[in-house]
Amino acid sequence: MKPFLRGAWRVFELSLGEMLWSRRTIFLALVVGCPVLVAAVYRIVDMLGVTPLKLNGQRMDTTVFGIMIWLLFLRFIVPVLGVFYGTSLIADEVEDKTITYLFTRPIRRSAVLFGKYIAYLVCTTLVVLPGVMLVYFLIVPFQQIGAGFTMLVTDLALMALGLAAYGGLFALVGTIMKRPLVVGLVFAFGWEQFALIMPGYVRRFTLMYYIQSLVPHAMPAESVTSLLQAFFTDNPSTLTSLVSLAGAIVVSLALAGRVVERREYVLEQ
Amino acid sequence: MIAAEHLSKWYGQVSGLNDVTVTVPPGITGLLGPNGAGKSTFMKLVTGQLKPSKGTVKILGEPIWGNPALYHRIGFCPEQDSFYERMTGLGWVTALVSLNGLEPDAASAAAKRALEAVDLLDAADKKIGAYSKGMRQRVKMAQALAHDPQVLILDEPLSGMDPLMRRRTIRLIRDWGRSGKSVLVSSHILHEIESMTSNILLINNGRILAEGNVHQIRELIDTHPHSVFIRAEDTKALARALLVEDGVISMRFEPGAMVVETARPDAFYARLTDMAASGEAGVIDEVTSPDDNLQAVFKYLVKQ
Repeated sequence: MKPFLRGAWRVFELSLGEMLWSRRTIFLALVVGCPVLVAAVYRIVDMLGVTPLKLNGQRMDTTVFGIMIWLLFLRFIVPVLGVFYGTSLIADEVEDKTITYLFTRPIRRSAVLFGKYIAYLVCTTLVVLPGVMLVYFLIVPFQQIGAGFTMLVTDLALMALGLAAYGGLFALVGTIMKRPLVVGLVFAFGWEQFALIMPGYVRRFTLMYYIQSLVPHAMPAESVTSLLQAFFTDNPSTLTSLVSLAGAIVVSLALAGRVVERREYVLEQ
Repeated sequence: MIAAEHLSKWYGQVSGLNDVTVTVPPGITGLLGPNGAGKSTFMKLVTGQLKPSKGTVKILGEPIWGNPALYHRIGFCPEQDSFYERMTGLGWVTALVSLNGLEPDAASAAAKRALEAVDLLDAADKKIGAYSKGMRQRVKMAQALAHDPQVLILDEPLSGMDPLMRRRTIRLIRDWGRSGKSVLVSSHILHEIESMTSNILLINNGRILAEGNVHQIRELIDTHPHSVFIRAEDTKALARALLVEDGVISMRFEPGAMVVETARPDAFYARLTDMAASGEAGVIDEVTSPDDNLQAVFKYLVKQ
């Protein structure tokens, strides 16, 4: 196990810088920048004295933050990043023909994949988590920041968990499929969206089913979003969700590692 | 050093290598073949990048496929011109050699030694993206030898180098051979291989046609005209200097370059290297030999 982890660590060190300074990270920053921009506009409008959103005389800042976390980050940004980064962990090296340098070293191929997966996780969380924090500090009024801090920490952990789960699943897709990006997008924005609105057991075959059950935000009972949330979430317990997501990560990575150990990567001449 | 038994590789219906049984002895061995002959497939099989469809391939007595521990003893310089362009030469070689289990300080020291061996220490802190073709070739070689492997496998290592660097690299490969390392080097240029070793494997259509001493086929090959592509600063001055040379059959100019056809490739390459060293005909940036040289030779040999 030790040589495996040591090899993975070295690949992580090599890959992190490459990932952070890649064009894909510019895309990542743009994607994460959108909610931050929305939050900044929200704050500016508030500062200009426009009457804030209220329900039963209460400001809805925390609810707005919750909706942004739920709809923008968890339902869109996390799956998108999982698809774009996860599917490319090995595919990019193959396409750039640099895989040879990694696969002709005395480390297991699965350690290469694992090291790159950890680099993906660090790279995306380094961009996404500060983005979530910025949105929080822009939307939630200063006086309420302390009260909602636990919720923020839970959100941050949830983002990391979501990125880990989607990244693991799409790493597997990337090692098996020839067109992993298309398959990944169809899964994230076709299958998952469809399955979540289907009654019965189908939704249990999505990652989002477990992720959104962990969302700490309670929507106001009278709002349309609360109705939507109630419709979409048939909440499994926290323990079930955590165990299911951890299982999905472990199984995906183990299968991806197995595939990459056995597969031949023929570079185009 | 390398032993292949009934080694075959198919890509679907296409055969890349066909029932090859060969033993590569210690020392320097040249793998010579035209484009599409199966050189790359053979190299990928002996470096464990591909799994044999049939047969076995062993390096230092052990099968290479699925045996990463063996890479402690093997250094591989691939043909493709692919890098992490944003990294510096030193950073890249250090990162790769650290994958061999060296601690950061030892990896950095090993990388510096390797860069020095390929004459690239001065440019070690430059980004690879800013390297010339010859420098890129050399940094690739540096990553292959940085961990001091027992076996070096070099796929077209001289491609794109200028004449002086070519001469230095050939000398370097010969030194490795003399120091007890085993080297398998592929090329489609006989004269390059011949300057490193007399022990060659001839490969064509996925089969080893001949193995042994290069001199046995030497005379046959010399009767064929040989094309040389030269990228130079002043092609007209170079043409004037080359016109007086024996064996030059024709010249053709391209933007910033020229293609010379010669009947005496050995003498021609030697003269070109001298010119590059003296600078008498300006700077010579790159010398390559189009693949069809060897293709013609093989056609000729097969007809014999």
